[in-house]
Amino acid sequence: MKAGGRRGRLFVLGFPSLMLGAFFLAPFAIMVVYSFYHRVESGFYEPGFELTHYRNFFSPLFTRHLLISIEFSVLAAAFSCAIALPFTFILSRYPRRLQVAILVTVLSVLSLSEVIVAYSWSVLLSRPAGISNLLVAIGLMDRPQSWSRGYWAVLFGLTYFNTPFAVLIMFPQCTRLEREITEAAQTMGASPVRTFLTVVVPMLRPTILSAFILLFVFTMGAFVTPQWLGRPEHWMFAILIGDQALQRGNIPFAAALAMFFMVVTLALVAITVRLGRSQEARFR
Amino acid sequence: MRLGRLARDTFVGLVLMTMAAPLVVVAGVSLNARKMLFFPPRGLSLHWYAQVFEKRAWFEALTTSLTVAVSAGVIALAIALPISYALWRYRITYARVLYGIGMLPFALPPVITALGMLIFWANLGYVGKIPNIVIAHGVFLVTLPMVMISLGLESIDHEVLEAARIMGADDRTAFRTVVLPLILPYLVAGYAFVFVLSLNEFIISYFLGQFVTVTLPVKVFSQLRSGYSPVIASVSVMFILLAVAVFGAIGRFGDLPKLLGAWRPDDR
Repeated sequence: MKAGGRRGRLFVLGFPSLMLGAFFLAPFAIMVVYSFYHRVESGFYEPGFELTHYRNFFSPLFTRHLLISIEFSVLAAAFSCAIALPFTFILSRYPRRLQVAILVTVLSVLSLSEVIVAYSWSVLLSRPAGISNLLVAIGLMDRPQSWSRGYWAVLFGLTYFNTPFAVLIMFPQCTRLEREITEAAQTMGASPVRTFLTVVVPMLRPTILSAFILLFVFTMGAFVTPQWLGRPEHWMFAILIGDQALQRGNIPFAAALAMFFMVVTLALVAITVRLGRSQEARFR
Repeated sequence: MRLGRLARDTFVGLVLMTMAAPLVVVAGVSLNARKMLFFPPRGLSLHWYAQVFEKRAWFEALTTSLTVAVSAGVIALAIALPISYALWRYRITYARVLYGIGMLPFALPPVITALGMLIFWANLGYVGKIPNIVIAHGVFLVTLPMVMISLGLESIDHEVLEAARIMGADDRTAFRTVVLPLILPYLVAGYAFVFVLSLNEFIISYFLGQFVTVTLPVKVFSQLRSGYSPVIASVSVMFILLAVAVFGAIGRFGDLPKLLGAWRPDDR
């Protein structure tokens, strides 16, 4: 008996369709519509079609925040990949028990709220409770110093936040890399570092690329880290969207910002994928 | 060769230390006796841990967070399982489309999803309620269990199903008696991931809570804005310990590397 046949099979998908359709796709569609709505001064909005909101963000302020978001996201994604790749590769060669212990640590850090991570680093980089106290104790510094609130603090926090994700994305492919291949390279006289750079990295190129893209997208949405580890000039785009939507109640403008932000992010992703493909082609 | 191993272990050790560093400091800070930010702590006290349960605002945030996380896990599985199963068992195109949509939340900056959902609920006039956040988390975090369940299904031999059918089991019976027990570890792990990530999720809870429904990360966020309190540190430590406990249990009782997609030669 073929339980219900074709209709039964589709019925199974009823609930997922409803949930994804009503609570993911529909909100999206509504947001697009809202981005064209008219905003009334009193703080409300009414249906309409206007491009005001789309014109509004071509101001130096929004452009600057968009650029700093892209800069932070590209750098943080690149740094995380650079740290996670050798880390994950070595990890995948470790004995099982150790591997599990390290994975549990990585997963625990990964699951931490951005709020908690940003707070922890602001403590660690602060004057009364930070690393600088340790350096004073060893005698490397004269007096404790505050390193929080600055460009490098933000970049560091974002990289920290991303690295466990990078490990998780790279892990499957690293374990699939045949041991024989690296062994062969070393038998032929290549040093471990050389083997890593000339054999492992090229073989994992697609994985590295997808990790980079995913982390880039993730970082573009950073909300808490730039606020707590940086100064207002380091505030990323997501904060502006939140500010318009929650503090100023200008939903249409926030929606327009979000649409614009999404288009820019997806365009950059598309460019990266393209570049990766042409590299790949040249490589063969 | 030996030197190479030492260098590798040192590198891994350094990365792990950096990962753990803020956690150690926060744990230290949470033990301070007075309401000040010091590390190493001055005077030991568990006072700030008790406060999480004594202060009403913190306790409410804690129960809200737990309610949301427990329910979001159920919703995520209820969406993920049918999609993965239909895709694996029947290879329906529509299931593939849904799978693609399920991957989307991962491919967009979360702030966009959060805003879309906020506008959606505002339109319905139903704002700042717990179900808003539950549904949002269930949909937003569906990607991980979906990928994991698919991994689990892929590891089942189609011959096993064939055997079940020959013995007279219909689709439903085969699913209940063969497939479900085999993918149970993946379901549990998927649930655990959604649970922990939902517990820690900030931006969607912040947008949808509208300062009425407050989850713990949102509470920490607003508390830090209004002024430092050591309760923030003790709450953070509790969250860290919870994550370690959940993933530690998966690592202890399940095949963690395999759940994360590792592939050993003997799996073939």
